Amino acid sequence: MNLVMIAYYVITTFLLVLLVWNLVLEKKSRDNLVLYILVMIPLILRLLRVK
Amino acid sequence: MKCETLWKIALAAGLAGLLAWGGIPLFVHRHFDLPVVKGPGVTDVLRLSDFSPRLKGTAADTAVFVLRGKKPGGKALLLGETHSNEPEGLLATLVFIENAVVESGTLYVIPFFNNSGSRNTRPGDGYPLYFEIPTDWGAVKLRFGNRDASPLDQWPDPDVYVHYPERQLLSFVDARNVNRAWPGRPKGPLMEQVTFGGMEILRKEHVDVAIDLHGAETMFPVTNCIVAPEKSLRIATLAALTVKAREGFESHVEPSPVGFRGLSHREIGDYSATLPFLLEVPIPFLDQPTGPKTEKLLLDGKDPFLLSLAKKKKLFVPYDESGWSMDRRVGQHCSVSLEILRQFSKKTPERAIVIENVPRYSDIVKNTLGHYFLNPKTAAPKDIVWD
Repeated sequence: MNLVMIAYYVITTFLLVLLVWNLVLEKKSRDNLVLYILVMIPLILRLLRVK
Repeated sequence: MKCETLWKIALAAGLAGLLAWGGIPLFVHRHFDLPVVKGPGVTDVLRLSDFSPRLKGTAADTAVFVLRGKKPGGKALLLGETHSNEPEGLLATLVFIENAVVESGTLYVIPFFNNSGSRNTRPGDGYPLYFEIPTDWGAVKLRFGNRDASPLDQWPDPDVYVHYPERQLLSFVDARNVNRAWPGRPKGPLMEQVTFGGMEILRKEHVDVAIDLHGAETMFPVTNCIVAPEKSLRIATLAALTVKAREGFESHVEPSPVGFRGLSHREIGDYSATLPFLLEVPIPFLDQPTGPKTEKLLLDGKDPFLLSLAKKKKLFVPYDESGWSMDRRVGQHCSVSLEILRQFSKKTPERAIVIENVPRYSDIVKNTLGHYFLNPKTAAPKDIVWD
């Protein structure tokens, strides 16, 4: 795995952590909760090396 | 428990369900291996990483079947699944591996040349993940892949793909297209490592003939043909004329364009002593204006929209209600490959490559393709290669 690929997975993990953190902290908007969940899907699939 | 917490738990459960529903079939497809039974002619099984060491342990490494003849002679390489959504090449190579007996010379066969691509798919086009070929003993289940390697294995894509070593500018998607990556380099992107492995087989083993098996849309002009560079044109022409006269099907000759780089029929010829040939058969499944991309369309090639276009003379091949079946397509690949090797052997008898027991077009159309596959359940484990 080359350096760019490793950096890509690090960035993906970082974004996923941000999203989970925002999901936990979100108190008001259910719309935002749904959006956080949707944005997480490709990131998780990539980290699991599914797609 | 607060309402918002319950809402978050429900959403997380929904997320897990979506991931499982969409992700598990893709994960299973990526890790699905095909049992290839070693036929009577297989003498060795190598790995592509034996020739391109950095491939070892990657999804692009793949098996190289060697069929050494009883007598010395020339050498030939057959490549299947350069594009993994053109499975005729894979199926033809499997017919060779499971049936061929080499009388003289040596045959190298790589059924999954783009192994990473065969573990990829194209969900946006509704590609099936698998297809099955009925046989005398059941059905063979095969992965249906994509044209390009998986982004999981080669990433990121460049803005513009710069071909090595000719420096021609190509579309960014072709960075993962193994048939734009010839002749490759040992430390290049993964697809270049794959083609470098192919080139090393040709150079180190002194291979005389390389045949790259493909398929193309019926609406694409370069279909149902043999693509050959200048040095292969004579043999290609003789093979095309012979199959038309003796076996009754068309496979015309297309010259390999000098200014279009990265393709096997161009770079193998320019960067080695080998004579390259690229065979195309028509695949209605790949055309854009068809009905749903189903397994049935892949196998029988029957589509009402293409039939309508054929009546308006918009296709580059004859097309009627009988479609263009997988049996016909694989049969053409087998016959044209055998004819190329026969013509090469006639031209250079001291390097003859004589292969017996491989069915030709009429045999496969008559007996069906599945008739020529061996049953892995009755084969000894040592005779099975998982790829």
